[in-house]
Amino acid sequence: MSGSSTFRGRQSAVRIFAQEYSESSLIERGVGEYDPSFVITKLGAKVNRCLVCGGLERMERRDGDSGPFYRGQVRDPSGTHYFDVAPFQPELHPDAEELLARFESGDSVLVSIVGRQKSNESEDGGIFTSLRAESFTEVGLEDYKSWMVDAADATLRRLEAYDSSQGEELTEESLRKVGVPEDLVDGLIKSKEHYAEFDTEAYRVWILKAFSRALGSSEEDLDADLEPVGIETAPVEQIEVQSTGGGDPREVILGILGSNGGELVEYEDLVGACISAGASREDAENAVMSLKDDTREISEPKFGFFSISE
Amino acid sequence: MSDLTTYANQIAVVKQECPDANDEEIGKEFQRYESDFLIPPEDALRSVIRKFQAATGVEVTSGSTTQVREEKKVQRFSELGSDDRNVSVEVAVISYTPRTQMVRGEEKQIAFGWIEDNPWEASSERIRWDYKDWGNKAEAMVPGSIVRLEGVSVNEWNDKKSLNINRTTRVTVLKEGGGSAPPTSNEPMTIARASEVGGFVNVVGRVMSAKPDVIVRKDGSGELNVVRGRISDSSGSIGFLSWKEFEHEEGALVKIVGASVRKFRETPEIQINDGTVIETYRDTSFPEVAELTESEKVSISNLRDGMRDVSITLQVENWNQRTFETKDGDSRVVRSGDIMDPTGRCRLTAWCEFDPKPGDIIRIDGGRVQSWQGSPDLVIDNLEQVKILTETPWEKIDPDNHWVDVDLDSLRKGGSRRGISTSGAIVAIMPGSGIIERCPECRTILRDGSCPEHGPQRGEEDLRLRFVLDNGVSNANLYMAREATEAFLGMSMDDVKGEISSIGNDSFLSNLRNRVLSRKVVVHGRCVVDDRGAMVFADRMEVMDPKPAEEAEEVMQRWGVVL
Repeated sequence: MSGSSTFRGRQSAVRIFAQEYSESSLIERGVGEYDPSFVITKLGAKVNRCLVCGGLERMERRDGDSGPFYRGQVRDPSGTHYFDVAPFQPELHPDAEELLARFESGDSVLVSIVGRQKSNESEDGGIFTSLRAESFTEVGLEDYKSWMVDAADATLRRLEAYDSSQGEELTEESLRKVGVPEDLVDGLIKSKEHYAEFDTEAYRVWILKAFSRALGSSEEDLDADLEPVGIETAPVEQIEVQSTGGGDPREVILGILGSNGGELVEYEDLVGACISAGASREDAENAVMSLKDDTREISEPKFGFFSISE
Repeated sequence: MSDLTTYANQIAVVKQECPDANDEEIGKEFQRYESDFLIPPEDALRSVIRKFQAATGVEVTSGSTTQVREEKKVQRFSELGSDDRNVSVEVAVISYTPRTQMVRGEEKQIAFGWIEDNPWEASSERIRWDYKDWGNKAEAMVPGSIVRLEGVSVNEWNDKKSLNINRTTRVTVLKEGGGSAPPTSNEPMTIARASEVGGFVNVVGRVMSAKPDVIVRKDGSGELNVVRGRISDSSGSIGFLSWKEFEHEEGALVKIVGASVRKFRETPEIQINDGTVIETYRDTSFPEVAELTESEKVSISNLRDGMRDVSITLQVENWNQRTFETKDGDSRVVRSGDIMDPTGRCRLTAWCEFDPKPGDIIRIDGGRVQSWQGSPDLVIDNLEQVKILTETPWEKIDPDNHWVDVDLDSLRKGGSRRGISTSGAIVAIMPGSGIIERCPECRTILRDGSCPEHGPQRGEEDLRLRFVLDNGVSNANLYMAREATEAFLGMSMDDVKGEISSIGNDSFLSNLRNRVLSRKVVVHGRCVVDDRGAMVFADRMEVMDPKPAEEAEEVMQRWGVVL
């Protein structure tokens, strides 16, 4: 390998909760052939690779033009990470099959994933971030708790950098001066230029959740990550069929809830279905809220779970 | 698993573009990208297609036909090949060091320095190259400015590419230098900072030593008189090399303006040349020599390849001598041993009759550092450089249990060192883990039964593991040789071979993945750092039991979080 001066080194795996990652809409694409691309979060994390963990919420195999691939979701205290295993990763397919079988048999499975950033842009400019799994493995409860502590630690580190950058001039020099760690300087400058001011309180809420779960003070909550609390949710296939109907998120949502016999469907599943039907995340979320609060065509009998109004 | 099945999908795509290409060769190319360049097949796709288009004579669509003299416009240095001529590129000028050099008996004004590509972006997004100016472009090549270079050529030497600016090169200034760029101002910086940033610097320091020296040109064209020495301030100390007369004596306080910091091996050094101004500086509160001598003392963790004039105190772990024959047939004795201090361990080589006992505390003054197997090791050349101390400056170190805990971030930023322990999560199992075959001649790993150097060989089996260790901010490649692997797996090499032949290599790796992936581990061993990153060679590795409650308490305390 000649030309060592152009070698960039491996990107480290950022520990990150689903919410921070999924709220990101700033993508930095590498210019050169081997330049890495990044999802830049509101807190300035530059994510090319990350290490995430959570309860396996969905797993499915699909067949594409270039072969079978897998899609899944893992849930952590803050939200859901979407990941896939691509057709060109056949070495991972046996393990993906095994995970799929475990999921389909109804087992509660905790999964740890090392993934690369991936993002899709919808026609109206909405950004949907997800992960391409590089490798993954089932982990135990203690491992999961330990990961939550690491992710909380990393998020608090970013929050502190974010706070200390408030009111500072957005230059590398001035951010270094106020103690922003080297790996966050560039990301923080770019994120503050891109995102509007936001309230970091929400981030602290799920950090607290993560701590209380890691301390073992709320075993029940942990079950919430493992399983959607025993509520009958619509099967995945059904959502997918409906979602191919059209791009309007309202129609997608009404289509799903109107045809499943009044079963409860979780918020993320509705939003996810709208996104895979081509809507932006923002539009999907607005549609859910508008159907619930404005037109009252859907209702929320249990927090986070929706059904068609009677 | 053969390359054909691993890359079946990519191979199919390549075949669409280049129907005449051979499946196996395409597979090998992907394998090469993946294992040699760490580029996954989907990213390599474009390059591989381009390669086979060229190889099979399919018309190359991108228009990169090999018209040599045509101007080649690039954005990034990475796009340049070693024989590119007439290149046009926009760069940031980092340093410009003029030098008078004799070329074919004629005195010529040339200059060298650093330039960076991608000049409109932050420096973290740029790649730095050396350049040489043969065309007297001093007026345009001002450090801190951004210029467009038209008609430069690429020079490759020792695997390192640089740019040559020629007489015919056009230099267009796009952004004037000075002002914002700190190195161009007249303000001095601390020596510690100067060592870190490199490029053009101004420093104030006390001359700790200054001795005339002679550099003999390798091409036999003569000798150059130079002055070598050290200067120090309260932040640290740095060696200097003066290409012109240096009239200040030891103990003098000087301000050096417009010197450049270059690296000799891994050690930064201040270069004083024709354009540098050295003046006497007055500051009565500046630390005296005696005080600065203390700060000059280094520990093993600070040693870098290429250091000179090293002062250090050490504990001897063991000591040996061996006799060997030189090229001329003379026999010579070299003594060496393992040595320690509270920050780590390394080796000491003595080219003199120095015979300490294990456990002795020794003091070295004027030692030098050389790299051996990637680790910086100390060398002394005569007995005047070393003495055995009677007092121990620290509690006796137990050599059987002496590991210095270093976090991955410091490891990555520091130099190569032995005797460290560090921790992180395993985020990848790299190819080439498990049973491998080595060339019996040179121990290189065989590819398809063949050694790049010695051709097809009956390989010798060996066992090893390769992981990536990662803490979220920094990462390192982790290597475990046979012994460490056997200890970690709790299996002999024969056990491993048996298991692989019964369940298959994929299942072996899958089991390994389930056992280590995303798990936190502690490793003990040595670490080699170069510009590609850190490599840890582990003597042993343990998977840590997760203790989430304890970890949570610690993190909550660190950030002042109350539930």
